[in-house]
Amino acid sequence: MSATIAARKLPARRRPVPRFLRHPGLVVGGVLLLLLVLVAIAAPVLAPYPPLATDLMNTLSQPSLAHPFGTDQYGRDVLSRLIWGTHVSLEVALAVIGLSLSLGTAIGAIAGFAGGWIERGVMALNDILLAFPGFLLALALVAARGSSLQSVIIAIAIAYTPRVATVMRSVVIVIRPRPFIEASHAMGMTATRVLLRHVVPNALPPVIVVATISAASAILAEAGLSYLGLGIAAPTPTWGNVIADGQGVIASNPWISLSAGLCIAITVIALNLVGDGLRDTLDPQMRRQTGAGLL
Amino acid sequence: MQASDPVLDIRNLRAMLPGEAGPITLLDDVSLSVCAGETLAVVGESGSGKTMTFRCALGLAPAAARIVAGQVLLEGQDLTSLGPEAMRERRGAVISMIFQDPLTALNPVFTIGSQIAEVIRAHRRIGRAAARALAIDVLRRVHIPDPARRVDDFPHQLSGGMRQRVLIGMAIALNPRMLIADEPTTALDVTVQAQILELLTELRRESGMGMVLITHDLGLVARHADRVAVMYAGRVVETGTVDEVFARPLHPYTTALFRSIPSLEGAAAEMLPAIEGQPPMLADLPPGCAFAPRCFLGRDRADCRTIRPPTDAAVQGTHVSACLHANLIAAEAA
Repeated sequence: MSATIAARKLPARRRPVPRFLRHPGLVVGGVLLLLLVLVAIAAPVLAPYPPLATDLMNTLSQPSLAHPFGTDQYGRDVLSRLIWGTHVSLEVALAVIGLSLSLGTAIGAIAGFAGGWIERGVMALNDILLAFPGFLLALALVAARGSSLQSVIIAIAIAYTPRVATVMRSVVIVIRPRPFIEASHAMGMTATRVLLRHVVPNALPPVIVVATISAASAILAEAGLSYLGLGIAAPTPTWGNVIADGQGVIASNPWISLSAGLCIAITVIALNLVGDGLRDTLDPQMRRQTGAGLL
Repeated sequence: MQASDPVLDIRNLRAMLPGEAGPITLLDDVSLSVCAGETLAVVGESGSGKTMTFRCALGLAPAAARIVAGQVLLEGQDLTSLGPEAMRERRGAVISMIFQDPLTALNPVFTIGSQIAEVIRAHRRIGRAAARALAIDVLRRVHIPDPARRVDDFPHQLSGGMRQRVLIGMAIALNPRMLIADEPTTALDVTVQAQILELLTELRRESGMGMVLITHDLGLVARHADRVAVMYAGRVVETGTVDEVFARPLHPYTTALFRSIPSLEGAAAEMLPAIEGQPPMLADLPPGCAFAPRCFLGRDRADCRTIRPPTDAAVQGTHVSACLHANLIAAEAA
């Protein structure tokens, strides 16, 4: 009964959109992320120099108006390389989210919904993958396939899929016994239809949160692999490569590594803010606790 | 009673659940039938098998439960012999079931219109626009005001009574021949209860479908049902028309149920007589009549304690009781 009364008190026909705008972390993170996406898309226009153009007369210059973050040991403009690096980092993040979210959601949903031996088998495999250090897996894959953007994306996606699958399965198990699922069966819907239309949409919010936070780790992982020389091969401008380039001259030209590190930090913070914000706004229980949605 | 064939005819249904200490009998020799345009009320306490009977009939029983004997005839066809896909095609289209709690029986993330359309599209090959138009029509049939606008509402925007109307709408959208309403008003307040039952009665009259009303509430049975079946510990202990059963119950359990209803007459401070003892565990049923240990007739009778009475131990026309001593009830209860 109390639920009925509470439902009546809600203002009629309120759309969920304004709720997202009332969460400060989500707004800040979202704006940062939007700016990063714009930078990535507009990289060819924004970057003052081509990212691979060397200027051997002007190596390791200090920051100036012409080169705000200076130049590296080959005279390449660091700012331009960082702007192009945004493109690579976000591409990795987006591809990893796309791959691990779709794969992990499918695996977790099927395992959780089917139950029985299918669930046990799938989750045992999943746990094995989960127990295996993701970075090591990525290293092995890059070593086997050679270092390229694709290898990095596939390697990181494989490392993150089991996490998404684990979360998805646990959410599906919670949703499966809910009355509206039983009611759907009673109305003669096929199992596939019940899974796709009723289970998955209700399970997505927590999975989206995990995926967003995984995207931040994916960017870190890409930078880590590139820094070790196992990521995207050297001349390509990525943040990890810029850090690696600047490492040798960190005493005299700290801006090179620092600026790239700052880019990574900002992106990771932005993604985490968005992830936390989504968790707060998508989960009604959290919303009640933080009060963010009730303002 | 009309001479017409029953729409739903459950015959000697027996269902078991494997348990750690041997199989548990969930349903024991359950026979029920419902004719077109008729309402059968099924009453009994929690765990007596009311809901389980119809879950088994619709193929919605828990995966571990097995139907070991009996038939479920829907318009003459045995549902227990159908495969899962054929069974699915009938659920929602020929036989529908609505559940107790309307607050959680709708998917919170979709509009009610899309959920009704979903049910229609699960059974008929029609486009989205046509399904939406049908959904609006369904909302009109269950008397939701302003259906063209309400169709885009989410479940949380509706009250409990409205949500139950939507669920009833989903259940009758495809004009089934049989509607099973499992405690449709338990979660609602009393004024809304009456409206929902009026709606169900109206829909039944319009369409001529058969209806089963599963309930604890004997008041509802008296007002809204034609016939009643009383269940106890997985068995039907008494069936008959509402008039017959209410005027002269033939089973001590039914008598005891009636006596535990508060009456408007009589002293206010008087304690209501409760049925002594606990309902039996299905895993550990007494050898004779399952009600014997709590029965004012059978407690001290050797035959009640040792012989399991047949479900038709006492028959008076359409009034059937599973009591060995039905002829003594009126005298003892007085």
